[in-house]
Amino acid sequence: MLEWIRFLAGAALLVFGLGIFIVELIGVYRFKYVLNRMHAAAMGDTLGIGFSLMGLILMNGLNFTSLKLFFVIVFLWFSSPASSHLIARLEVTTDEEPEKHYRRVELKKLEAELTAREEMESREA
Amino acid sequence: MSKKVPKEQYEKTLSYRMRQWYEGEKDPFLNTVEMKPQPEFKEDKAVIEKRESERKSLYEHIYDMEHNAKVRTFRKLYRVFSVIFCIALVLVLLTMVSYLPTIGEVSNPVNNEVSRRYIQNGLQETGAVNIVTGMILDYRAFDTLGESHVLFIATCTVLILLRVDKKKAKGGQEDAEENDRVHEPKNDIILQTVARILVPPIIIFGIYVILGGHLGPGGGFSGGAVIGAGLILYLNAFGFVKTERFFTAKTYKWMSFCALACYALSKCYSFYTGANHIKSVIPLGTPGAILSSGLILILNICVGIVVAGTMYTFYVMFRKGGH
Repeated sequence: MLEWIRFLAGAALLVFGLGIFIVELIGVYRFKYVLNRMHAAAMGDTLGIGFSLMGLILMNGLNFTSLKLFFVIVFLWFSSPASSHLIARLEVTTDEEPEKHYRRVELKKLEAELTAREEMESREA
Repeated sequence: MSKKVPKEQYEKTLSYRMRQWYEGEKDPFLNTVEMKPQPEFKEDKAVIEKRESERKSLYEHIYDMEHNAKVRTFRKLYRVFSVIFCIALVLVLLTMVSYLPTIGEVSNPVNNEVSRRYIQNGLQETGAVNIVTGMILDYRAFDTLGESHVLFIATCTVLILLRVDKKKAKGGQEDAEENDRVHEPKNDIILQTVARILVPPIIIFGIYVILGGHLGPGGGFSGGAVIGAGLILYLNAFGFVKTERFFTAKTYKWMSFCALACYALSKCYSFYTGANHIKSVIPLGTPGAILSSGLILILNICVGIVVAGTMYTFYVMFRKGGH
């Protein structure tokens, strides 16, 4: 009975991870701009692989192999965001027509804008 | 019973688009994903003229073709000998091909007893649990020695092609520093933090793969590649000033030289004893222990050192042109 529960939980995690991979693939092919596509790809590299490997760990039980799988998760969660960050930074510094792709805002200006909008809404209400 | 759908409605469905894509009529990613056409190759007239005049002046002033009989004869002989060399090479290769055994013969190397012997006696003769390692570092160690030398020679060739002359580039140190990746981040704090956490486990994992080469999957080549990747990550995060404290061209030279010499000498010893039926003094140990299988562990470490140094040096050469 317990074996079955473990197997089903592992399988559910694995399927959920695979679903995230499918979302990632659709995003990579549907988005047009590099940073959007990278966002989709990075999601699969962290969350998708995390859930899939967690499912495999559950199915495998606690032994040396699952420890190795856990280290794989830790490694990927460190390295994949860092590499995505570097690629994104390179894209931002070398983009030839940035105003076509994204809007650059300073945080203070954004805050002021948001508070102004809130005031407007409260006044209307 | 399938329902007949009008054509306009059918053309909007997913299955119609799938079919279009399958039959190659329409590429769904064309014009949706960012693509830039390659600019057509164009050359100014001035560039062509300049190149031509440079070529002409090279022949007239530097080689001095009209008066230099030596160069002229050399160029003629060069052409003749290159043709002769190519023909000779083709002939040699064709003769060797004609000596190849026919397919499916009983006495072919595939069918003979060598592979069976590796599987049956490999553990007793080499002491390595991993048969593949026993094969490449014991039965066929000479081959692996050649591979390590190929790596070393490749580094030497890249060095000849890409090295920046330090005397000529004097005063251009800042230029070089500026040319070194204008767009890429320097002192990126995210990368530095990640590298500080990840580099030690990567290098320890590489050492583990090298040391466990005769017990399981792994070995010098893969472990060396892992260590090289760790070094490259460290270099990317912290720059040349920090890596040059412990790894310079001189270190690489001595490391490779020592590793290759150690490999060659230890293998010479085992070939000498083996060919003369002398018992080797190196014990094989108990299979499964780390200190077992005779020379294989040492050879793995040598190969690992060469591979790690080669990977790192390649990267440095392509990025900066020298350590």
